[in-house]
Amino acid sequence: MKNKKSRWLVPLLSIGVCVLVSLLAAWSDLTYNSGRLVYPMDSSYSFQPSDIPMLLALTLDAFCALTLLTLILREAIFRRRREAERRRTRQLNPRLGFLGLFGFCGFLGFLPISELSTYTPFVFFLFFGFFGFFYEGRMSNTLMDERFQENVRRAKLDAYKLGIGVVHLLVIANGLIDCSPELRASVMLVVLSLTMGLVLFLQEYLLYRYDQQDAEGV
Amino acid sequence: MAEFTCNLKFFRQRKDLTQEQLAELAGVRRETIMRLEKAQYNPSLKLAVDISRAVGAAIDEIFIFP
Repeated sequence: MKNKKSRWLVPLLSIGVCVLVSLLAAWSDLTYNSGRLVYPMDSSYSFQPSDIPMLLALTLDAFCALTLLTLILREAIFRRRREAERRRTRQLNPRLGFLGLFGFCGFLGFLPISELSTYTPFVFFLFFGFFGFFYEGRMSNTLMDERFQENVRRAKLDAYKLGIGVVHLLVIANGLIDCSPELRASVMLVVLSLTMGLVLFLQEYLLYRYDQQDAEGV
Repeated sequence: MAEFTCNLKFFRQRKDLTQEQLAELAGVRRETIMRLEKAQYNPSLKLAVDISRAVGAAIDEIFIFP
């Protein structure tokens, strides 16, 4: 427990220090530097010594972000390796499935283009795939014996088959239907994001279903 | 899946092993042993060998293919 606490202490402290330094630098920039690096500016930037605090703070932020990313990636790789050695599925809380609710943010993409001037929100449909955590969480810390691995392959295969089928239809429809490039781009993005979300979800759902079917002896 | 007759339950009980114990010896889950006993799962050669060693019987005595 203590080990777990101390593992989080350093990243949290470094985030805190970064936020504090950034706030101080922003205050100094607004007070003594006319907010040159706080307010949006055009490309005609030229260096002034008074920019140094803000530039240092930005460098520290970037360094901190990179270090955190490296730590997270390293932890993820180590954890995966440990789980592979133990031949057990990763430990997950099924409640992480609620992250799938972020998928509804994808509907922001249907707002009139003038308001957001981008199609990017459609990508959020991908988050529907996180509903799969509900099922992955239920199979948390399960021994991955050969029957389980066989079910994993079966579930992945079925999910990918469906995904490829949908993408195949999308490509055909894209070639047949005549419409504006904007509409084409948004439809492509919506369908691709939804399909990827569906594939992510189905991999976990089908695995759970196959495994339960086996356990019930259906 | 190929149909076969499985005598695993007989050999397991003869060895006085529970499904849980046999699962641990063979490195699989109890559900897998349950499926094997019902002849609803076709095991890999490695698993068949592990099980035959655990229950002390020959593979072709445990799994009988027509």
